[in-house]
Amino acid sequence: MAKLRLEITKGEEIRYISHLDYASAMERAIIRAKLPVAYSEGFNPHMKISFASALAVGVTSQAEYIDIECKEEIDVNQAVEHLKASLPMGIRIKGAAYMQGNVPALMAIVNLATYEITVPLLAEDIGIIEDSIRWFNEAEAVLYTRESPKGKKEIEIKQYMAKPITLTALDKAVRLILEIQITPTGSIKPGEVLGALVAMFDLPVDIDNLLIHRTGLYISNANRQVSPVEL
Amino acid sequence: MITLDPAMLNRVIKPARYTGNEWNSIKKDHDTVSVTVALSLPDVYEVGMSNLGLKILYQILNNREDTAAERVYAPWVDMEAEMRERNIPLYTLESLKPVREFDIVGFSLQYEMSYSNVLNMLDLAGIPLFTAERDEHMPIIIGGGPCTFNAEPVADFFDCLVLGEGEEVMEDIIAAVSSWKKAGKINGRSGILKSLAQIGGVYVPSLYDVTYHENGMVAEVLPNCPEVPLVVTKRVVKDLNKVEYATRPIVPFLDIVHDRIMLELFRGCTRGCRFCQAGVLYRPVRERRPELLLKMAKEMVDSTGYNEISLTSLSSADYSCLPDLVDSLMGELKEQGVSVSLPSLRIDSFSIDLAQKVQQVRKSGLTFAPEAGSQRMRDVINKGVTQKNLEDAVSAAFQAGWSTVKLYFMMGLPTETDEDVLGIADLAYKVLDLYKEIKGRRGAKVTVSVSCFVPKPHTPFQWFGQDLANEFERKQQLLKARLRDRSITFNWHDARTSFLEGAFARGDRRLGQVLLKAWQNGARFDGWSEYFKYDVWMDAFKTCEIDPYFYATRHRDFDEVMPWDHLSSGASKQFLQREYEQAVTEELTCDCRREHCSACGVCPGLGVEVLDWGSRA
Ligand code: SF4
Repeated sequence: MAKLRLEITKGEEIRYISHLDYASAMERAIIRAKLPVAYSEGFNPHMKISFASALAVGVTSQAEYIDIECKEEIDVNQAVEHLKASLPMGIRIKGAAYMQGNVPALMAIVNLATYEITVPLLAEDIGIIEDSIRWFNEAEAVLYTRESPKGKKEIEIKQYMAKPITLTALDKAVRLILEIQITPTGSIKPGEVLGALVAMFDLPVDIDNLLIHRTGLYISNANRQVSPVEL
Repeated sequence: MITLDPAMLNRVIKPARYTGNEWNSIKKDHDTVSVTVALSLPDVYEVGMSNLGLKILYQILNNREDTAAERVYAPWVDMEAEMRERNIPLYTLESLKPVREFDIVGFSLQYEMSYSNVLNMLDLAGIPLFTAERDEHMPIIIGGGPCTFNAEPVADFFDCLVLGEGEEVMEDIIAAVSSWKKAGKINGRSGILKSLAQIGGVYVPSLYDVTYHENGMVAEVLPNCPEVPLVVTKRVVKDLNKVEYATRPIVPFLDIVHDRIMLELFRGCTRGCRFCQAGVLYRPVRERRPELLLKMAKEMVDSTGYNEISLTSLSSADYSCLPDLVDSLMGELKEQGVSVSLPSLRIDSFSIDLAQKVQQVRKSGLTFAPEAGSQRMRDVINKGVTQKNLEDAVSAAFQAGWSTVKLYFMMGLPTETDEDVLGIADLAYKVLDLYKEIKGRRGAKVTVSVSCFVPKPHTPFQWFGQDLANEFERKQQLLKARLRDRSITFNWHDARTSFLEGAFARGDRRLGQVLLKAWQNGARFDGWSEYFKYDVWMDAFKTCEIDPYFYATRHRDFDEVMPWDHLSSGASKQFLQREYEQAVTEELTCDCRREHCSACGVCPGLGVEVLDWGSRA
């Protein structure tokens, strides 16, 4: 058994596919590439692959990670070449490495995600924007109500914010940079942070037109911050 | 190219329906081709993408250097609202170009209930609805698929309709359009329509006039120009081993209805069920060679990454080399984790062996289609299945470990009595009893699905009056009362939907107005029960002063001129009439590929032959 870890993208071309669909697109690419992937035993064998963290519909990313369990170790460059030729538009390979030994699952180790949110402005004056962001950053706690089919739930957002939000003014739009912690007990989505900014801090943006891009996914502690392929 | 607003895509459900970029989709530069084609099935993406015919045409057309073929499906109601609000015209998934900029728009007409979507899509595209209103700058609107064999209700909206198999005829059409364009669109729109009308299998409705008798029946349908044939006859591919197949189908990102490799073993079915339109339209049986099928299957696994192959034909279990084919498919592809599935089973124990072979581990339910509950009724429809066949098949299934059985039936078949309807219940109980006998305990689950019979053109039952909706409902209640056992699930079809389908299936050109009115009043996605607006349709009939019962429930005489008599499947009217008469006397007709020819007229008339490899071995 050999565990191949890839750093891949979810590009503009496939922005609107769901995580599940993204995962099955990868599975089919792996079959087309004829990688010696391992399957689970049992009634309904499935491919042994796993992802670091799910991405919502409408979100792009330059830092997705997938572990592929292979029955044998083939040359990493060769594996990448085969896979490259089999990937749909929007999925590119940025890095690849075999993980040595008994590495823990991606899902369990990744604890920080960085995002860029680009959203059109509804106000001329950038000062108003800066104020809302500053109030958010300075707030002790921000309570956000998450609504899902399962019901409503209050979440305190600030506990997940690793750093204050920073912003860049673009032409008629603004770009926010977010660093969000992923904890064993949960996290917050970048779209939800923007939702709170608009609802509670009067951020004058056209939230319907937001574009979210994941820029990084890390394993981070007091001393260092590395991506899963740099382990 | 159209730009898609993130706000729009963020808001609609399943936005990936509208953004393309799927594996194996083909993007060509429109400046480098001479003809552009937008291929469509007028239903939502998941349904449209599952159509095999369009997959084949997509590949054949894109193989041509001079042609770019792209896809477009009906946007779901949420997306339609967003598009209308933003003035976004209907666009294709490959180039995101407006459909109205294409040379040809082809609609696959699979069911009558999608007609309102055709109008809606044309309107969304900004294309005039009526053929008479389009000039040479507008695309040529072509229809294909089974409904073209009586597309009279939509005749005013289509420039032409293609009868029969599209592989070869589409190439002829492209060649004609390409040379017409190169010649500077000579004689404008009527120029191209006339030359298309001369291609075999192509019907240009505007070149035919319909006259009616005072009693509302069709008097005659005659060409209004000398260049076109009196009768348009379907196209058939003589040898399926020699035409291109969809070996590189598009792999969608979304789960679609048939999300797997479709391996078409053969075309046609000669069992001769008398209600079955497909059985007539796709005659005769033409099988592909097993070696070729194996090669195609391997190519498709490699090109798609799918791990399931479905053997799709009208009655796949009838393929003459099936056991060997299944063995070699499983043998060669098991390594890659590929499984094989058989969508339709014949009602005999041989099929159970096969079913067992293909689903070695998981035992999902088995599906059988006895179609009718009593032996008498099954003889009327020429199902050729006996009570004993059924009992043996179900017993074999229970012995092999299955416990869930689905049974498909129709009600409202010609000559049906209440006794025949109740026979459905008897059969369901018989299945439960068999399980108990074999296993010594209860525990079988039976699902009984009953649809409402819709008489279709070009079948022996085309003269038959459909049951009234309330008669269907009465029979459904009758059956429901009899099926009170917790092990039996009873599903039935909405009788009103079937009534409308019945009116359109055997409708004439005058129904075009009704369709237009209903669409204007909001009809679309009529095949989706949550959007079906019966009252809108009935109002439309009333406004147009057209009687739907005249089309759906009226019995016809053999000498009546049918609205589709100028459209030929190759099967003769005499054959259909003979079959009708034999139905009434409960006489069976044999399978012409295995026994003797039943003289339907297709083979000699079209110069084709039955191709059955097993019989030649
Ligand atoms: S002509 Fe004869 S052999 Fe050919 S399809 Fe008809 S019945 Fe069958």
